[in-house]
Amino acid sequence: MESLTDATFPADPSTPAEAGGTLILALPKGRILAELGPVLARAGIHPAADFADEGSRRLRFETDHPGLDVVRVRSFDVATFVAHGAAQIGVCGADVLMEFDDDQIYAPLDLGIGRCRVSVAAPVEMAGQDLGAASRLSVATKYPAIARRHFAQKGVQADIVHLNGAMELAPSLGLARVIVDLVQTGSTLKANGLVETEVIANVTSRLIVNRTALKTRPEAIAGWISRFRAALAERDAR
Amino acid sequence: MTDDPPSPALLPAGLSDLLPPEAEREAALVEAMVAVFGRHGYERVKPPLLEFEDSLFAGSGAALADQTFRLMDPVSQRMMGLRADTTPQVARIAATRLARTPRPLRLSYAGQVLRVRGTQLAPARQLPQAGIELIGPDLPEADAEVAAVAAEALAAIGIADPTLDITLPRLSPALLDAAGVEGEARRRLARALDRKDAAAVQALVREAGEAAHVLPGLLAAAGPAEGALAALEDAALPPAARAIADNAGAVIAALRARAPGLRITLDPVEFRGFRYHTGVAFTVFGAGATGEIARGGRYMSGEECATGMTLYPDALLRGVPPAPPRPRVFLAFGTDPALARALRAKGMATVAQLSPADTAQSLRCTHILDAAGTPRALKE
Repeated sequence: MESLTDATFPADPSTPAEAGGTLILALPKGRILAELGPVLARAGIHPAADFADEGSRRLRFETDHPGLDVVRVRSFDVATFVAHGAAQIGVCGADVLMEFDDDQIYAPLDLGIGRCRVSVAAPVEMAGQDLGAASRLSVATKYPAIARRHFAQKGVQADIVHLNGAMELAPSLGLARVIVDLVQTGSTLKANGLVETEVIANVTSRLIVNRTALKTRPEAIAGWISRFRAALAERDAR
Repeated sequence: MTDDPPSPALLPAGLSDLLPPEAEREAALVEAMVAVFGRHGYERVKPPLLEFEDSLFAGSGAALADQTFRLMDPVSQRMMGLRADTTPQVARIAATRLARTPRPLRLSYAGQVLRVRGTQLAPARQLPQAGIELIGPDLPEADAEVAAVAAEALAAIGIADPTLDITLPRLSPALLDAAGVEGEARRRLARALDRKDAAAVQALVREAGEAAHVLPGLLAAAGPAEGALAALEDAALPPAARAIADNAGAVIAALRARAPGLRITLDPVEFRGFRYHTGVAFTVFGAGATGEIARGGRYMSGEECATGMTLYPDALLRGVPPAPPRPRVFLAFGTDPALARALRAKGMATVAQLSPADTAQSLRCTHILDAAGTPRALKE
């Protein structure tokens, strides 16, 4: 915290009196939130005490900056909130940005947290088979766009079975031949008789901003971006 | 399982009925803007809704080929497209029917366009457009003129405090060319620039040629025009990029002279969404969350230099404060027709009683006439 008074650290960009009102920062529930805490603290953002409490019924939290509020939503919804301008700033995984490819979102900062990958996984006995030989392949995933694009590049039509969780069950129960999913350690795959056959992309969390907000309130938004950038530089220097 | 009959109110996705009073408001907005265009010497043209696809997809139209509804003309047996943008049609008119009209050619238009797909953010598939094209001169003053006229049209309909964002879609490619960045490295750098990922740009330009080293600084300079111009001024630019930067400076200087109060931002390295632009590109944002309300910039109209601006009345409708509704005056049987004419001349609507069952309330009137023939507001 002492570093925040350092003369080189960007000044508090929030100016509540400014036209446009309170800025909203959308943050994802779950996995990333715990890793995000220290980054927020270094950037000088301290949400209300019950923010970290997943049991709290509140969805919108004030911070110690009068011009900045935080909302807690699902990772995919962060991108939706920011694309529509309902939130001006947000944090979400690169997987969400790949799936939800929207030209209203800028992704100016790689926060380097929430490391994982989007991968294709297949039953152990199927691993090593050339998937490119098929013209169609059934794929269970919560990333239909990524899966479709990935297999289209190989000349394969992906028949998508859109699931919201427990993808790992799909091959053994005959719902789909392969899955496309986030893989962190691979232990869930292993426990379900699957192996990672291909990495589609490596994923980290990104700071994202709404295009209109950056264009119409450049000082405020760029101010927060540089605070996050300084926070990352300080973290990485340790 | 029973099939529910489709509701007769259901329209195809992305299409909508505009009802009172929005339909009237939108028409009034369009006419007010076109009137401003006319007063600046922009003459109106009205191209057809449908035309042969080869002329629709020439030049700037190519970018919208996959968004165009197509159908076969049973008469000529050729493919036609329903316009997804009006600019290519104006370009065709300028290059053919108005080829011999002396330049500069100032044309305006207003009409509907259709797109195959809406986006999650803008689901509408039928959009109104109103715009201007200035064809012929390759001058910064021409770019400044279309932006200033558009700003005046926005002011005329009550859009307060718009922001004009100027981008230079050719600057980044010129710098990457000069730095000799090719292939995979170029793709990655372009992607980092597009996302405004400053750290990645910084890392990638280290491996690139000298000319690319200005990119991180220019990326950070995006913002109010004066600051961004100063950064461009100080940057060591190769000749091609210097010309683009000088032109941007000239456009902004000309705009400052014509529209002193306009908020202008400059984003030198952005190229997102401006595939066919050859010089400055414009985006106008409304205050608050109104979003994008106009787009334009310099392009090639066939073989000719051109610049233009398209305004989106549907987006404007969200940003304009609603006008007070037109007073509706109840005309009972036997009201003097001359009195009714006088009321209409003052801009009121007169709603005539057709049967004894019609009352001021059932006709949704706001006023009735008293014994002296003066309209009195009805209490709720």
